[in-house]
Amino acid sequence: MNRLDGRLGFLSALPLVLVLLLSFLAPMAVVALFSVMPQKVFSIANMPDFSAYSLFFSQGYYKSLLWSLGMALTATIILLLICWPLAYAMAKVFGRFGLVLTVAVVMSLFVSENIRLFGWVLTLMKGGLIEGHLRAWTGLSFESPLYDVPIIIFGLVYVYLPFMLFPLAQGIAMVPDDTRQAAYDLGASRSQVLWQIEVPLAAPGIVVGSLLTFVLAAGALAESKILGGQAVIAIADDIETAFTFGQNWPLGSALSMILIVIIGGLALFGVSKVDLDAIMGRKR
Amino acid sequence: MPTSRSTRIVLYVYGVLVIAFLYIPLVSVGFASVSKARYLTFPIKRYSTKWYGEALGSSTVSELLTTSMTVAVLVTVISVVVAFFGALAFARYHWRFRTTFQKLILLPIFFPQTVLGLALLMWFNSLGIIPTWKTAVVAHLVWIAPIATLIVAIRAYSFDPALEEAARDMGAGTFTILREITLPLLMPGLVSAGLFAFLLSWGNFPLSLFTTGADSTLPEWLYAKMVSGYSPLVPTLGVMSVVGSFVLIIAAFAVARLLRANKETSAVQD
Amino acid sequence: MGSPGLLRLRGVVKRFGSFTAVRDIDLDIVEGEFFTIVGPSGSGKSTLIRLLVGMDEVTEGEIWLRDKRIDKTPANLRPTCMVFQSLALFPHMTVGQNIEFPLKLRKEPQDKRRARAEELLDLLRLPRSYYDKRISQCSGGERQRVALARALAFDPEILFFDEPLSALDYRLRKTLEKELKDLHARTGKTFVYITHSLEEAMVMSDRIAIMKEGRFEQIAVADEIYSAPVSRFVAEFMGEVNLFPLSAGADGRIASDALSVRPGMRLSQLTPGSGGLLMVRPEYVRLAGDADGFDFSLKGIVHGEYALGSRIQYEIETVNGMVTVEKLREDRLTATEGQTLVLGFNAENTHFIGEAA
Repeated sequence: MNRLDGRLGFLSALPLVLVLLLSFLAPMAVVALFSVMPQKVFSIANMPDFSAYSLFFSQGYYKSLLWSLGMALTATIILLLICWPLAYAMAKVFGRFGLVLTVAVVMSLFVSENIRLFGWVLTLMKGGLIEGHLRAWTGLSFESPLYDVPIIIFGLVYVYLPFMLFPLAQGIAMVPDDTRQAAYDLGASRSQVLWQIEVPLAAPGIVVGSLLTFVLAAGALAESKILGGQAVIAIADDIETAFTFGQNWPLGSALSMILIVIIGGLALFGVSKVDLDAIMGRKR
Repeated sequence: MPTSRSTRIVLYVYGVLVIAFLYIPLVSVGFASVSKARYLTFPIKRYSTKWYGEALGSSTVSELLTTSMTVAVLVTVISVVVAFFGALAFARYHWRFRTTFQKLILLPIFFPQTVLGLALLMWFNSLGIIPTWKTAVVAHLVWIAPIATLIVAIRAYSFDPALEEAARDMGAGTFTILREITLPLLMPGLVSAGLFAFLLSWGNFPLSLFTTGADSTLPEWLYAKMVSGYSPLVPTLGVMSVVGSFVLIIAAFAVARLLRANKETSAVQD
Repeated sequence: MGSPGLLRLRGVVKRFGSFTAVRDIDLDIVEGEFFTIVGPSGSGKSTLIRLLVGMDEVTEGEIWLRDKRIDKTPANLRPTCMVFQSLALFPHMTVGQNIEFPLKLRKEPQDKRRARAEELLDLLRLPRSYYDKRISQCSGGERQRVALARALAFDPEILFFDEPLSALDYRLRKTLEKELKDLHARTGKTFVYITHSLEEAMVMSDRIAIMKEGRFEQIAVADEIYSAPVSRFVAEFMGEVNLFPLSAGADGRIASDALSVRPGMRLSQLTPGSGGLLMVRPEYVRLAGDADGFDFSLKGIVHGEYALGSRIQYEIETVNGMVTVEKLREDRLTATEGQTLVLGFNAENTHFIGEAA
């Protein structure tokens, strides 16, 4: 590390660090402070107490958290299974089509998730794109799958697919073809290659993809609101309600803190396990 | 063991199905936007573009579009500048707190945006700032500036640090190196980061939700109408927003192609 | 080479934390010479050249260029230039823009820059039409020449080279080695070159420095390094070699466990009571039926035969371990594997490496 690099690195990090200090770290500190304020105050100039946290248990908010975490976990597992073959094909099989797929998936990301979820409502509702046409052509009908737990998980899978697909493809691309061929050459079967060569070597991609989807899904709001009606309440929904209708900032902050600690802990754990230089660029 | 022909076919079909899966809802929205009926049911009986006419004539809509556009443009400009330097600190320079810095940048991306938005609301409140679209710009930056930085960083990783060293060796100072070598070489990364920043800001809803105050962006308005009281303008504006984004992407690709072709011919003639 | 040192290093040390990459180096590079630093990877040669160019700062010691101390001067203010291993040609500029870059930095007017660029294209035997070519349109050898032209553009006092040929294929490398030597002769510039390939160093250099663990083991003209290495490390680094332990008794008589020594044989460097290694290169070892007429000889069994193109190499098992022998193709042995032979060589073809080394 030479001195010039050290200085330039510090200077060029400064703008972004300032942005994040003012828009991320400081607000997080405010949330932490608010979470230990007495109920229904709108300033942090009060004696701290932990009443907001006790509500988490006494008023059943923990159920929302468990629902959110459970649905996020389910969605993550489903996404792993759905995305693995596709990520594999993107990294190793598809040539130009891989690029087409990438562009298609990235473009879908630019459409507000509201609009896309609303599109599913129009597609799946009674009298929607599928049921409406089915009834018109065959006379058959079915109940709308909307406003239930499985459809929320479906929404999570749909919205967070790119966040699993791309890290996974990147991870698989990091598995050298030679190692796979060498393993076959040494007599390994297809499943042995998968479990003993590909999965361990693609682990950074798997970790990043799973963490990203889990964490984003655990804090998701729109899926349960738009697709799920109010079948179950997601923790993010509780937080929003506490701030808006409830006008109880300390309660909202305490719920946020609980979510932040879980998510932040997982994120930090995951980020500390992977070598960013190796994933994103060459190793120096 | 090469992938067999049948496996390849299955994988291609699977890929096409996934693309279809991603775009089916947009097809529904597209059809809905040209249905004449105020309350939509499929199959659509009468098609009409009257909702488009209504949207274009509405002052609410033009206000929404202006707000969304202003926010997105500002977010783009600030993100690109911050990301240029941030990416160098992330990928290029070896300095003491580099790994800490890399992790700090990733954290906001992992955070639920709703929570980020609420945290910002409280932060602005405790500073005595009344939220408007200007505070929404700050809110978008939390999430978009790190993503833009990562995009530029990928580009920064792929360029040879010897290029900068060579320039310095031949007599260039730090500022000249940044202008003559680093900036032109990172340009493709900066353009895609700018594009991402604009589009992500244009489509973002959870960060705007609590931070725009009395102002409203397009995705916010759409959400409000979706969860409480349907408006036939919802699919129409949805389609307009999507088409706007895609036109921008295609235009950007076309310009990039044109520039590249231009450069090559000028290099030969000159 | 009577002129005073153009570039002088005095007690140069570079440490990275607790690791010392360059240890206390003194060096004088003469104006106009082709000086090559050779060493295995990790020997500190790359670190040393970065210090010389100004891309890293010395921890201790002084570097002088003529009568100016430059070790605190940053790279951009030193009148020297380096050709990088990766060449570091700017991909977003044309060949001409690359060559003119250092001149543009010095605010030269455009017509002068253009004239200089064309002069350099001529010097490096590149067609002038290459001025407008993009770097991506140039072949490996052409890029090499563009990099050289760019480095020469502002007429630096010294040109440094950081293994610029290492990524090229064998034939192109051979051609460019000769071109580089030729360019050195035509420009009269001082070239300082680092490489891990001794062959490359031998072809081009006036003087060679062998580097090991941050120090110079030996600095000498190429021939001397080959025939009279100062240490086992240098001897073995410079290609195939056979080494035999020797010692001299109090009366000066040579004693060896492996070799039969001609009676009355003396080695001037081998003082009574000392010991060391006797070096003989494979091409000087003769194979015969008996020991007659050799200063040194030993018995051995033919173990293997390897074709090296114009020469044939034999591995012969002896009490001293494997001994390597090389013959021209036309002098190929009729002996077969397993046959016992006598290996002999004479004192004038050997070199003695003292105990301390």
